[in-house]
Amino acid sequence: MVTLGYIIRRFIYMLITLFVAITLNFLLPRMVPGNPALLILITKYAGNFNPNQLKLIESELNLKGTLWQQYIGYWNDILHGNLGPSYYFYPETVNQIIASRLPWTLFLLGTAMLISVVIGVILGSYSGWKRGFADNFLQAISIGLTSLPYFWLALIFQLVFAVMITINGRHLFPVAQAYSITVSPGFNLPFIESVLWHSALPIITLVITTFPGFALLMRNTVVTILDEDYLLLAKAKGLSVKTIRKRYVNKNAMLPVTTSIALAFASIVGGAFLVEEVFSYPGIGYALYTAVTVSDYPLIEGIFLIITLTVILANFAVDLIYAYLDPRVVLK
Amino acid sequence: MSDREEEVIKILRSSSQFNRFKDFMKKLLHHRKALTGLSILFLLVLIAIIGYFAAPYNPFNTNAPPFQPPTRQHLLGTDYLGEDVLSWFLLGTGTSLFVGFSIAIISAFIGVLVGVTAGYFGGQVDNVLMRIVDVLLVIPGFPLLVILSAFLPPTLETTILVLSILSWPFLSRVIRSQTLSLKQRQYVLASKLSGLSGFQIIFRDIIPNLIPIIFINVIFLAVGGVVAQAGLAFFGLGDLRSVNWGTMLYWFEAEDGIVYNAWWWLIPPGLGIVALGIGANFLGNAIYELTQPSRGGQ
Repeated sequence: MVTLGYIIRRFIYMLITLFVAITLNFLLPRMVPGNPALLILITKYAGNFNPNQLKLIESELNLKGTLWQQYIGYWNDILHGNLGPSYYFYPETVNQIIASRLPWTLFLLGTAMLISVVIGVILGSYSGWKRGFADNFLQAISIGLTSLPYFWLALIFQLVFAVMITINGRHLFPVAQAYSITVSPGFNLPFIESVLWHSALPIITLVITTFPGFALLMRNTVVTILDEDYLLLAKAKGLSVKTIRKRYVNKNAMLPVTTSIALAFASIVGGAFLVEEVFSYPGIGYALYTAVTVSDYPLIEGIFLIITLTVILANFAVDLIYAYLDPRVVLK
Repeated sequence: MSDREEEVIKILRSSSQFNRFKDFMKKLLHHRKALTGLSILFLLVLIAIIGYFAAPYNPFNTNAPPFQPPTRQHLLGTDYLGEDVLSWFLLGTGTSLFVGFSIAIISAFIGVLVGVTAGYFGGQVDNVLMRIVDVLLVIPGFPLLVILSAFLPPTLETTILVLSILSWPFLSRVIRSQTLSLKQRQYVLASKLSGLSGFQIIFRDIIPNLIPIIFINVIFLAVGGVVAQAGLAFFGLGDLRSVNWGTMLYWFEAEDGIVYNAWWWLIPPGLGIVALGIGANFLGNAIYELTQPSRGGQ
């Protein structure tokens, strides 16, 4: 049973985490020496500017007044959903950049996560149930695969499948980008085909390094459940193996997998960012990489805030789903 | 207190500490998985030592032609400036391992301190510490690393510091739950009865019993540290002039190693990371199996 109290408490944790992230966002840039407003003008206009422009940008960046006034101004902007101007892409705002990039990242993350969970659950359930060779094999490859750094695997795939191997003079997969420049974005077949084609290598990279975690967890849970009393009872009742496996084992083993999705989500984000960098995939990871290389601080902060918000919301959702799924959990 | 009671306390304590540790080391050296893991880790340390004393070239020496595949003079070819890849790899192994283990030791120290304090003293202390841990565990790690590294000076020390500060929360939770169960053991009760203070009990009865778990976690924290540092370097953060596995991969990406098919430049640093991960897993699993004989194979 989920009580209202539990939901409220989780919600408060969520707010505290957000508060910490936002305050960090505010304090960090103010700890580095130098005037960010000057930096914009120097990088953008090569120093050809007048004092009024400087004042304008300073107020846009909340750099006026005491630290406390700046902090209030910062919160005001955040609560109005305004993440400020980007130094590098100025006058494009951080909001605009994130809005155009976030869908690509969510597409990569969502698809990779879904495929990883499905593969992990099937393999884990099989090897936990059968044990023996399949089990040893799963454990061995899991150790190997989880030790692979995402970005190195991405580079290897890029080198092998997008550069080295050619069939009839054509490469198997595209080297970079999210879709070919020859198609027009929209709901049409060539575009969708191109998007899928371009996302194949990034998604495969993420899946290969993510599914073993789910598989091992599923396997361990299945092994534990096989020792439970209610399974003995089910056998004694004479239920078929298929029913036992489906209704008694797999269904219960899915619970820990559900909770682990939230934690896995927080860690796969880092992987997705690095993979985006390798494939110049136009998601927020690649935008963050660009922002880092050109010291575009507002963009770095904006992306950090949005991705933190996304992960926190995902966590909150999984918490609620878990409590709903498992009637044994009493949350107060 | 009578002599007999003191005797009992002595026996209870000695069985809990040093003898167990010696026993454990003996078992470890006869365990196949543990030996495999130790050999792999030893090999990496050996590579680092060779790199330190006998790298064939100065890694910044640019006398050879760039993007040269492996030859007799340059066994792993050259990079975009004509620098020797083998020398980069040999020296880089040392730096990467140093970074990884520094992070592991600092963050294990914080993690154990927080976990034991929370678990042993409980109450409000526990509550406050674990809420901090909750917040740190929920914020996505890599973006947080990126934002901290972007604003702090780009040195190897900064990277070690930032990664150490962010790596301990998970360990502290494990240590806390272990401490909670150790607190109920008889020999802790014996120590309490003999009038030892909380801190004395923590250092004499609790921490010695956590050593296998701490050891496993130090290994995995080191692997995590190496991978995270490499990821940060690959993202263009930290000291990019430092010679390590991460900067090798960064320059490969930044200088279009892909376009030149420079597999000889790409494969070594990645294999180093993979070997470290596999070695750590073997050793970690072996220690886990030895300390929890009721679960798992062997």
